[in-house]
Amino acid sequence: MKGMIKHKGDLHQNRLGYAFTSPAFFVLVLMVVYPLIYGIVISFFDTNLVNKFDFVGLKYYKRLIVDGTFYASLGRTVVFTFFTVLGRAVLAILFANLLVMKNMPCKTLFRSILVLPWFFPDVVVGILWKWLYNANYGLFNFILRSLGLIDAPVEWLSNSSTAMWAVIMVAIWKGFPFMMVMLLAALQTISKDLYEAAELDGCGIFQRFLHVTLPGIMPVLSTTLMLEVMWCFKHFTLIWNLTKGGPVDATQVVSIDIYNTAFQYMRFGESSTRAVFVFVIIIVLTVLQKKMKRKED
Amino acid sequence: MGQRKKFPVAGFILVILGCLMVLVPVYWMIITSFKPAPETFRNPPTLWPESFTLDAYRKVITDYSFGDFFGNSVIVVVGSTLLTILVATMAGFGASRFRFKGKGAFLGFVLVTQMFPSVIMLIPYFRILKLYGLINTHLGLIIVYISFQVPLCTWLMYSYFETIPKDLDSAAAIDGLNNWGIFRKIALPLSLPGIASTSIYAFINSWNEFQFAMVLTTTEDMKTVSVGIGQMIDDTMINWNDMMAASILASIPLILVFLFCQNLFFEGLTAGGVKQ
Repeated sequence: MKGMIKHKGDLHQNRLGYAFTSPAFFVLVLMVVYPLIYGIVISFFDTNLVNKFDFVGLKYYKRLIVDGTFYASLGRTVVFTFFTVLGRAVLAILFANLLVMKNMPCKTLFRSILVLPWFFPDVVVGILWKWLYNANYGLFNFILRSLGLIDAPVEWLSNSSTAMWAVIMVAIWKGFPFMMVMLLAALQTISKDLYEAAELDGCGIFQRFLHVTLPGIMPVLSTTLMLEVMWCFKHFTLIWNLTKGGPVDATQVVSIDIYNTAFQYMRFGESSTRAVFVFVIIIVLTVLQKKMKRKED
Repeated sequence: MGQRKKFPVAGFILVILGCLMVLVPVYWMIITSFKPAPETFRNPPTLWPESFTLDAYRKVITDYSFGDFFGNSVIVVVGSTLLTILVATMAGFGASRFRFKGKGAFLGFVLVTQMFPSVIMLIPYFRILKLYGLINTHLGLIIVYISFQVPLCTWLMYSYFETIPKDLDSAAAIDGLNNWGIFRKIALPLSLPGIASTSIYAFINSWNEFQFAMVLTTTEDMKTVSVGIGQMIDDTMINWNDMMAASILASIPLILVFLFCQNLFFEGLTAGGVKQ
């Protein structure tokens, strides 16, 4: 009898669970999975999306692997992602720790100022920094020249050796507040006693950070790092508005490469192939990360 | 112990430097927008406008379809955010309160969708919306934005419901409320802060979105703010003071969020993430 009631309860739970989650499930299947599969299918076709749908099989995949041009975009994406996430993490960890310091004055005000970049749209940030980087009238060159760091104005965004770094700087500026806010919340959960104990044991600031702070924020830090990597890997808007992938292709990351292949050159099938390739890379990275995490635990 | 009461000089200087790093570009945007066009082409630049003018704002609003851009963004972003929150709140509640077959798979899948590079869906959406006559329409963009926001918002709402004690549900059930009643009268009011911050999150992301709006709108009168000002910069008639004025106008909704809902937003956003 008891078992039967439990069984009935389970059915009830099932039905209610499905009822409440069905709209989300509907969205996921129809609006996420369906287009995704559609995208994979297109990658096997030579198509203009209107009247030409020629099945070409693995032709584009072979070309992708043999012909090296896409690897260059991939490499630039790795550089962009690595340094952007690194820069964001350094600033986020630094400022989050400073903002929880015991005797720091005006904490709320400082936090409000530091999160500000997050509240400007990507496009706006791109346009603003394009103006700041402007060779003749930009603030950036003016400051550097006033300080005597450069003699002549530098064309930060149209010089192929500086463009990528200029773009990364902007991405760091725009993105560090998110991680900082997450870490701030995580830091507030670390017990004060731990710090005091560490201090009594004679640990300096650096050792306290290493043995108390870092383990305390690790779960949040690793989750946000993973999110950041995935976001940076597919980032488009800032780079597009700063350089459109140029000069030549110095800042052409995969998202811009894929966009151009489709909507500038109208090679939709080949563009889809590249998107699928990136998708596979991200899956592999995630699986690797999960495995490494399991090993750590 | 005496050492700890000391004012953190080095830390304070670093924070001030950080604030300058953030504020100087923002300051530059604001003062440039108030300068007359010739003054923006001064070398060395003027650090404070010699003559204040609203010309740039006037030009952006009257000479360009900025009003249209803004209106389109409001319709698309508000529409998609409302629908997203409805769907995500229900799903978050369902996943947090009921044991059902496939629940783990459902939640796992919600997170997995975050890995999809959105660009893989650019061509499919372009083609699908074209097929159903939804390209260059508000509804088309709303559909796309819902698909972007539902997964993470579902996850945020699920995390938030998990922080609300389940005893309240049982108490309400004893009082004779059915499950829909519990959802409406107990869970929903208690989760309002979570709903608010999730809505703000979806709102910010949709207001920011650029790439899909660029591909999926084809005429000037359907462009969103992001796309509109992103293309304004290619116009040879436009000056930097105009661009900065347009940038400030485009940021207004997010700045309002920053001014009035910042704390609410951060509390809700971090509540689920930290307490897990």
